[in-house]
Amino acid sequence: MRHPRHRGGDADGVWSRRRLLGVAGAVALAAPRGAPAQDNPLRFGLTPVFLSNDVQLLADLKTYITQATGAPVTLVMRRTYQEITALLVSGRLDAAWICGYPFVAYRDRLSLVAVPVWQGDSLYQSYLIGRAGRVAGAVDTLRGDVHAFSDPDSNSGYLVTRALLAARGTDPETFFRRTFFTYGHRNVIRAVAAGLADSGSVDGYVLEVLGDVEPGLARGVTVVHRSEWLGFPPVACPAAARDSAPVKRLTDALLGMDRHPLGQKVLGSLRLDGFAARPATLYDTIAAKVEQAGLAG
Amino acid sequence: MIRALPDTLARMPLTVAVPGLVLVLLLGVSILVSERVVTRMVAMQERHLSDLAETYLDGLAASLLPAVLRNDIWEVFDTLDRAAVSYRGLSPIQAVVVDDAGLVLAASDPVAAPVLEPPPEDLARAIGGRVPVIDAARGRAFLWRSLTVSGTSVGTILAEVDITALIRERREVIVTLVVTNLLLTLALACVGYLLVRRLIAPARVLTRHLVDGISGPFEPVPTADLPLTGTESRRMIDAYNGLVETERSRTHLMQRLAEEERLASLGRLASGMAHEINNPLGGLFTALDTLKRHGDSRPDVRETSIRLLETGLTGIRDAVAATLHTYRPERLGSGLTPADLEDVRLLVSPEIKRRGQRLTWHNGLDRRIALPGAPVRQALLNLVLNASAATPDAGTVGVGIGIGVEAGGLCLIVHDQGPGLPDDAAALLTRSQGAAPIGSDGLGLWMIRRSVDDLGGTITVGRASPGGSRIRLDIPVPKEGIADDRA
Repeated sequence: MRHPRHRGGDADGVWSRRRLLGVAGAVALAAPRGAPAQDNPLRFGLTPVFLSNDVQLLADLKTYITQATGAPVTLVMRRTYQEITALLVSGRLDAAWICGYPFVAYRDRLSLVAVPVWQGDSLYQSYLIGRAGRVAGAVDTLRGDVHAFSDPDSNSGYLVTRALLAARGTDPETFFRRTFFTYGHRNVIRAVAAGLADSGSVDGYVLEVLGDVEPGLARGVTVVHRSEWLGFPPVACPAAARDSAPVKRLTDALLGMDRHPLGQKVLGSLRLDGFAARPATLYDTIAAKVEQAGLAG
Repeated sequence: MIRALPDTLARMPLTVAVPGLVLVLLLGVSILVSERVVTRMVAMQERHLSDLAETYLDGLAASLLPAVLRNDIWEVFDTLDRAAVSYRGLSPIQAVVVDDAGLVLAASDPVAAPVLEPPPEDLARAIGGRVPVIDAARGRAFLWRSLTVSGTSVGTILAEVDITALIRERREVIVTLVVTNLLLTLALACVGYLLVRRLIAPARVLTRHLVDGISGPFEPVPTADLPLTGTESRRMIDAYNGLVETERSRTHLMQRLAEEERLASLGRLASGMAHEINNPLGGLFTALDTLKRHGDSRPDVRETSIRLLETGLTGIRDAVAATLHTYRPERLGSGLTPADLEDVRLLVSPEIKRRGQRLTWHNGLDRRIALPGAPVRQALLNLVLNASAATPDAGTVGVGIGIGVEAGGLCLIVHDQGPGLPDDAAALLTRSQGAAPIGSDGLGLWMIRRSVDDLGGTITVGRASPGGSRIRLDIPVPKEGIADDRA
């Protein structure tokens, strides 16, 4: 199902990936201002991801980064994208796996560290889903639905749908009977499969991987509409720390993950090929969505 | 019906009635106890369920309130979804949260209770009721809890809980109670039956002997059937056996007395007969003497003397023949004939004549009937002799004898001109199965009674029309024993 990869381009969000990693419990919070010290643990932020219950994955990721960077790592998780983005932008995190939409929003204050590679490229789609059996391709049939979004700062779980409706001259509050946020792509799928919502906006990568991990849950929904290919949620760091040693070590660790057994195990759990260095232009399409949705600041 | 119950019970054998009563009482007690137990268990179950429900609702309310305040559909759903797993002890089927407008905010089963729709009717009906609202027929309980902030309702939790396990447990307890009580009651009834049967066994033995005594002689209870020494039952049986022995001795004595009385009567009759024989003997010797002296010369004298001799000897022969009849009853075994009763007339005639009395005699029996002659004649003889004794000299004693096919029996009536039969004497005659009199007084009357009882007859004592007693014996005779069997 993977489409031909987008080449280069502007920055776009690693929204769903970021969520993937951000699942489990929260850890550190108060951190010294400014660039992290050499001896301080590396603070790596994760946004809510679909494998939120995969404690082993988180442990493996932490172990791998620790081994690969030679420094202790603290994984920092929060419920919403906004919380992680705020910590990252304010320099309280050395790096974080965030969505393309916040990366675009704070492009002047953030730098790309690495971008995941999924099925040969760093691109993914946003899906509009309905309960199993719903007619595919007919966006208009979703009118009047109770609709589940993932997060107001999510590209695939909010921004893409909002931009799509804006292109049709409407907005979610008008088009849908009621909307709500579940703060997790997996939660969107749960809400739609259970019938709580009639339809939902979800990360296509999450739904595809869920088809492997929880096929029973994935079978409860059907894809009504797919967006164009967009930049995969990236790992980003504060722009001021772009050249810091910890970030460089982290960059090397991520880019070499596919050559390390533990790294391969982590990538296998995430169904990723690896990480690659991409230009920020990969996310230009998401920036266009922001413009289209009328959310440009 | 209740008034008839004691009669019904009284007619039942004790071995059935007592265990039956015990059974009914036990059943009543077991039903009462079972009802109490079940009621108590139901109350405990409902209290337990209520406690669980309150805990469940408390937990839900605390978790849900912030999300409900924010109208956060997902958080409400996620909380309900997790609670469904966390409260397995309560077996919640579905939980619904409605907002302050009464529409579903989220439900554990959104398909059954869609968002922004009114909640399911079953759950909505429970609002305002006492938690839990139980539908035992469906095995469901419905809960509700208002979510309030500072006294203002912001939503309501509604829940449906599966209580089939409780209902099943209740049913199992009821079945166990009923079966156990039934078996226990039946077992106790059987034990009661055996105990009562054992306890009243002496009374049954006594009853059987008393019942048998009605149709035959009273027999003492044999040694094998005697209860343990010293028990109340043993004293009762001993008393009965003593009574039977006493009665036997008395009857034996009475029989001896009766025999003596018969012999005495025989003596009286013998003296009467001797008198009857002696009276004409003087005339006969005179006639014989006359015949010796004048028989050859005076044919007329001879004729007269021979006639007198013949008349006198005939009277003697008749008296002797009647006596022979009376005291050789084996000759009367083939039935009662009119002549048998005429013998009575002959037998009493000397006594009647001696008293200067008159005997009116009407014998309506014109055939042989199938009745033993001896007891009938003995009874009639005793009655007439008593009537003669009661009637003053020169008085009249009446005897009427009748036989009727329609009436079905022989009727004997004897009346006298005496002062009337005393009450105790009348009682001796009329009281069936009466005890023998003490002493020889009334022995003749008692023997009449015995004879009539043996024949299945009845005795009626009344007043005669001019004064005195009128005693009537009615003795049944089989119809085939009456018809055309003329003597």
